[in-house]
Order: sequence, then structure tokens, then C-alpha cells
Amino acid sequence: MVAVDLPLPRRQGETEAAAFPAWVRVFDAGLACCGVEVSAALRRCVSLLPGEATVNVLVVAGTVTDKLAPLVLAAYRDLPEPRRVLSFGACANSGGPYWDSYCVTKGADQIIPVDGYVPGCPPRPEALLHGLRLLLGAEGDRP
Amino acid sequence: MTFIGQERPGGHAPVPPAHGEPGPAIPSQGLAEPVTAGPGDAGPASGGLPALDLDAGHLPPRSRGVIGLLEENCTVCMLCARECPDWCIYIESHKQTVPAPDSGRPRVRNVLDRFAIDFSLCMYCGICIEVCPYDALFWSPEFAYPEAGIAALTHEQDRLRDWMQTVPPPPAHDPGAPTPREAQAAGPGTGAAG
Amino acid sequence: MTGGQLLAEAARHLPTARCAAEEGTVTMDVPREDWLAALAFARDVAGCDFFDWLTAVDEQDKGLAVVAHLYSIEDRQHLLVRTLVPQDDPVLPTATSLFRGAGWAERETHEMFGVVFAGHPGLAPLLLPAGFEGHPLRKDFPLAARAAQDWPGAREPGEGETSARSRRRLVPPGVPEGWPPA
Repeated sequence: MVAVDLPLPRRQGETEAAAFPAWVRVFDAGLACCGVEVSAALRRCVSLLPGEATVNVLVVAGTVTDKLAPLVLAAYRDLPEPRRVLSFGACANSGGPYWDSYCVTKGADQIIPVDGYVPGCPPRPEALLHGLRLLLGAEGDRP
Repeated sequence: MTFIGQERPGGHAPVPPAHGEPGPAIPSQGLAEPVTAGPGDAGPASGGLPALDLDAGHLPPRSRGVIGLLEENCTVCMLCARECPDWCIYIESHKQTVPAPDSGRPRVRNVLDRFAIDFSLCMYCGICIEVCPYDALFWSPEFAYPEAGIAALTHEQDRLRDWMQTVPPPPAHDPGAPTPREAQAAGPGTGAAG
Repeated sequence: MTGGQLLAEAARHLPTARCAAEEGTVTMDVPREDWLAALAFARDVAGCDFFDWLTAVDEQDKGLAVVAHLYSIEDRQHLLVRTLVPQDDPVLPTATSLFRGAGWAERETHEMFGVVFAGHPGLAPLLLPAGFEGHPLRKDFPLAARAAQDWPGAREPGEGETSARSRRRLVPPGVPEGWPPA
């Protein structure tokens, strides 16, 4: 799993002193195809300069199979506070196209508490940034 | 992996590339400053990749972001709900008798009570849009609708109508394309655009 | 050897095999007792040195068809070897004595279809989580989510929350007759 410091994008007009954090530490649980979109988002925005990340976000990106579910739970347990969980993509939201499968956990929220859901199959990389903004209280995100 | 609260072990932070110089080819050594929103152009600091655009304005035609419903066209034939592989379209309706003007036979029509799409399940395959015989469902490129609660990802009729405002006009035909069958049937003077 | 030569050799070595040749692929159906003989023929006589995959198909009333795909790298010749085992006695000798690569393929076929490969060094489940019951890729394995969930398409046009259910019970496409059990 990759941990990456991410500067949270701001809209034009939002000041640096806006109420939500400037940096997040993203732990990408890239389980399936959605992991590629998360990687695409993270690769463009990452800085190796040490950021003042104040929130840890676990991004569950991809299908949570029954066999992998204990590992997702362990990753959540090991995540230090303050922590949030973002469910990325249809599979992590609800099982998605594999909602009727014999070996799929129908959504990450079946095993860990989820704070935000990003719809899509897969969502665009930009949708991850919107999801993170929603998670961290950037209210202006909802149209 | 270092966690918040732990010091980074030794070493100094890598120096970001000077402004205007191309960044290194290694991924994850890209931007040195936070990304700001707005339509982006490919910049050297992003390793040659176009900057992320937080909004859906510049997406190619027929991009699949969300589905909008034009209620007036829907006859509640139930084809979309039946063909959806995820079972994520919920339709409820009732029959209404419409008295005909003059002395015509009264007609019975279906009235939509509920049309909802559960976007937490939706896999954006487009089967519902393709199969609708009355063009009541449309693609929209909007992709930014995350929610804090999963129930809010089920969009009801009013929200699906709001998405219709974001549906772009269909792209023009390719130059030199043959006239579509519908235009041929409509007669001369309605050829392909462009 | 070419496809035609393969057919001729098969007729000599495996009189019980029924063969068919298409472009670059020969399909060989053998009875259960000639399964190992057919694989040995493929490897030693037909020059199919590459074991690609082995799996099963639930043919329901006819039984379980076990299929192996072998390939001759030098001759560029595909060979599909098929046999049929009955549902109530799904035993087949293991191919691992001839092709080591069949080990994991047989483990997966065993857990997904219930085919027992006699002589396999360790027929433990490969992909399914521990404690999984049943053989999921058999056609009579129920998908619990579909049984538990009401199909939104079962409603007729004009039917809503309050109206009575129509007498005609629609089933989603692909669902076998009589499922879900009432």
C-alpha cells in the first residue's frame, strides 16, 4: 500500500486559510481497476516535500473480495488517528457490478466505517480529489 | 512507512525542479506546489501531463459521468430496469385514464411515481440508455457527486432531472458520414450535419 | 505435426476419441477412462509440450465436462482435450503425473466444480476463502444476493408500491426456471 502526502486542491477564490486542511496523507488500498485511477490522481499531485499532513485517509479503491476483507480491516485498524475512510468506486461502495458474486464483500462499509463514497466505475482521478475535499469539509464542493 | 507524529528519518527533502525546467521522469516527483483548480494546460512541473481539471467542462463528447432522466419521454416501459445488470433502477408507476377530447376513446397511460438510479451500484455500462426506446435517459459528463452517506447516492426523479441541464448536445456527425436512416426517412433537406 | 496428421495419429492411438479440426485447433472428446491416455498421446505423440489450462464446464444433465488446453509450440497447434464425468461421481485421474502445471488448475477446478482428481498431491482450495461451502461455478449454485433482493424489473408498467402484484411472475434474464424457490 502506498502512503502519499497530497496537497488538497483549492478552487479559485478559496484562500489558503480555508477551514479544511491543506495536506492529507493518503493510504491507497488499490485493490482493483479503481486503483489505477487513484494512482493517476496521486501521481500528478504528489510532492516529496514533507507536508504538514494532519489527516490520514484510507482510500479503498477496488473490489473487496471475501478473502481480502480481513486485510482491509487490518489496514483500517493500523491507521493512526485522525483517520478517515473514503470508498472509491462502485465495488467499494456496494459491490458494484459484482453485487451478486459468491466471493465479494458488498461494499467496504460492511467491514469498516466509511466516511465518504465516490461513485463511478471507475471514477475519474479528479473525482478522488472531490471525494477528499468532501471528506475534509470543503463544503463548496457540492454544487 | 512513517506516520504523522514521527520524524522523518534523516536525509533532506529533495529539491524540486526550478520553475520552467522539465521535471524528472520519475513519477511522484511532480509538483512542488499544490494544484489549484481551473482548466489546466500541460506544464513542465507536472511531468508533461495536463493538470487535473476539477470540473467536467473539457471532457470529450459522450463522456460517461452521470445519467439524466427526461421524464416527459418516459412511458414506463420498464426496459431500462429490466436490462440493468446491477438491478439499480427503481421504477414505480400507476395507470391513469386520460379522457380523450371530443368523443374519442379514453386512453390509459402510465404515470411515473418513482424513478431512481442507485449510483452506488451503477457500473456506467449505458445499457439503460441504449435500450430506452424513447430517448428518456441521457449521458452527462458530470462526475463530481461524492456523498457522505451511501443512501444519498440513490438519485431520485428530481435530481435526475437536474442532471439533464448538464447533458451536452450530441456531437456533430463526422464529415462525409452517410446520412442516418432517420434523416433519410424524413426526406431530403435533412441530411447529416457538417 | 499438422492438424491433419494429428487426426490420423489420434485415430491410430485413441480409437475411442472423437476429433474435430478447425483452424489451428483440434478438439478431442474422449471417454473418462481414456483421459490420461489422451493427455499422454498429446504430449508424447502430438508434440503438445505446453500445458495451458484445465477447467470444467457444467453441462447439467450430461454431467461435468473437464477440458484441457494443450499447445505445441513448435508446430503451433492447439489441442483441446475434453471428457465428461457424471455429476454424482465426478472423479478423474490427475494430470499432474504428465504435466506438473496442472496442479493449481486442478485445485481450482476441484473447488469451483467439485471434480475430484484422484492421485493429486494436494487438492486443497486455491482461491476461495476458508470455510466456503459449495461449488460456486456449478449452474445450480444459488447466488444469494439475487435470491435476497427483489428484482426491480419484476414490476409491470403501471405497477407501483400500492398496486397488487401481477399474477405473471417475471424473472430476470438468465435465471433458470423455478428459481428462486418460493
